[in-house]
Amino acid sequence: MERQQIIDGLVEILKTVRTIAPEKLAGITEDTDFIADLNTPSTEMINIAAKAEQKFGVEFDDDDIDGLGSTVKDFVDLIIRAKERE
Amino acid sequence: MSGSERKVAVVGMGGIFPCSSDLADFNDKLFSGRSLIREWDQALVHGKNIRSTVSGFITEAETGLETVYSTLAEGYPETYIDTLGRIPDGNLATADLGSIWAMLGALDAIKMAGWSESETQSEQTGVIVGSGGAGHVILRPAWHNFFELNKKSRVAGSHTVDRAMVYRDAANVSCLIKNKGVCESIGSACATGLGNIGYAYRLIKFGIQDRVIAGGVEGTSLETFIGFDAMQVLSRGFSPNESSRPFDVSRNGFVCSFGCGIVALEEYEQAKARGANILGVIDNYFNNSDGDGNMFFPSFAGQKRLWKGLMGNSTRRPDVVKVHGTSTPVGDSVELLSVVDVLGEDGYHISAPKSQFGHMLGAAGAVEFITALLMLKEQKVLPCLNSITLNPELENFQRSDSWTGPQKPLEAYRNLIPQRGFAKEINNIVCLNYGFGGTNSAISVSHDRS
Repeated sequence: MERQQIIDGLVEILKTVRTIAPEKLAGITEDTDFIADLNTPSTEMINIAAKAEQKFGVEFDDDDIDGLGSTVKDFVDLIIRAKERE
Repeated sequence: MSGSERKVAVVGMGGIFPCSSDLADFNDKLFSGRSLIREWDQALVHGKNIRSTVSGFITEAETGLETVYSTLAEGYPETYIDTLGRIPDGNLATADLGSIWAMLGALDAIKMAGWSESETQSEQTGVIVGSGGAGHVILRPAWHNFFELNKKSRVAGSHTVDRAMVYRDAANVSCLIKNKGVCESIGSACATGLGNIGYAYRLIKFGIQDRVIAGGVEGTSLETFIGFDAMQVLSRGFSPNESSRPFDVSRNGFVCSFGCGIVALEEYEQAKARGANILGVIDNYFNNSDGDGNMFFPSFAGQKRLWKGLMGNSTRRPDVVKVHGTSTPVGDSVELLSVVDVLGEDGYHISAPKSQFGHMLGAAGAVEFITALLMLKEQKVLPCLNSITLNPELENFQRSDSWTGPQKPLEAYRNLIPQRGFAKEINNIVCLNYGFGGTNSAISVSHDRS
């Protein structure tokens, strides 16, 4: 799976997170920070991770989630690592 | 000004009420003698597994809300959408249905009070709001997915705590209005609504806060309903509008209902100085416990002590007593006899608004306090619907040697309980509410005559 495909999938997830303003979802890159750039409440990060597990058909380790950063790149890397473990 | 000199005014009110689009609609339906109780489709689908099927329930759609269900956790309401744009999405994400109602009621109460943004967000503004039940609608599917479906804890997301914690209603209101004073919840079963208002009154009276948003909530929940259904304490066998019948000899239980009542309280002199519309002035609040070790059975002695604590040495009698009046067999008779024992056999009237909308549990005391404010405004006594025949025989407990109360059957006090609303001069109303655990609460509220 290409990294851009994963980003597109993440954007689809973010559209369901009602605490993120939809207009902020245009132009998301790997450098975009969920908290700093999208004003995502930190409590929503685990919800995004859980939805990513469902969407990409992967299961994250608790250690990976505990050490997860807040950029789109961090999520993309996590998803790729999880897929490689399968 | 010392605490003993401070008075407390009610300057705003709001809420969510069964079969009513807003407070004005609720007011109109109450004073036209309507019943707001319906057959509940959510109960009916359970057939013989559920005993009672009537309720003063309120749906999400009726309050302009839509439920967004989780794609991860089966049956879990992930969040709500406010189709009328009153509550920001960020606040909706941390709220269960009852908390959303509390926020809506708080916005209406603040608007009516006319508080500025700086007043609302002051260190001198508190929020005291509570519920009778837990966040059952949130917890049940969250737990089901973890315990029964073996899903990870995170599939229910990160908001099961804030949407189900004991003081979720107060917390959500506080996060919405951004007050900087006290934020707490009082829990006292079916006295919760009045207990929160009473505690808020004390905060202002004793000089701790100048303004408080206070009230009680009970979000629509079949989980809550079936707990009482299992106890066999809910009304059964009557048409919906005849199901709640306080004091009537054929009553067989209360109607489990839902709703929200929120009031804005303010230190009286401040409210007067800024030209606020004073809806009522709280004379006193008192609460106590039965002290007899009985979780459920009402206490005649406890209720008499309640009156003594509320009235002190005053000889003034209320024009109306807004009773708890649930429609349970023993509760109503003990309450009527304690009222008669304290106030006598005439000179006042009894209003039982649960006859119109049922028992809203944790919201009951707050919504019924609002009905008292409406009676003060309208100068009309709300009726006790379906109170058709009062027992011509003595209650069993009246026949015991230890009984020290009135010796007449309930029928002797028929004149106190109007079946239809009517107009009269109303200067003062006493509101009574009781709860499991033997907790009793009473508040006295008067017209502002200054």
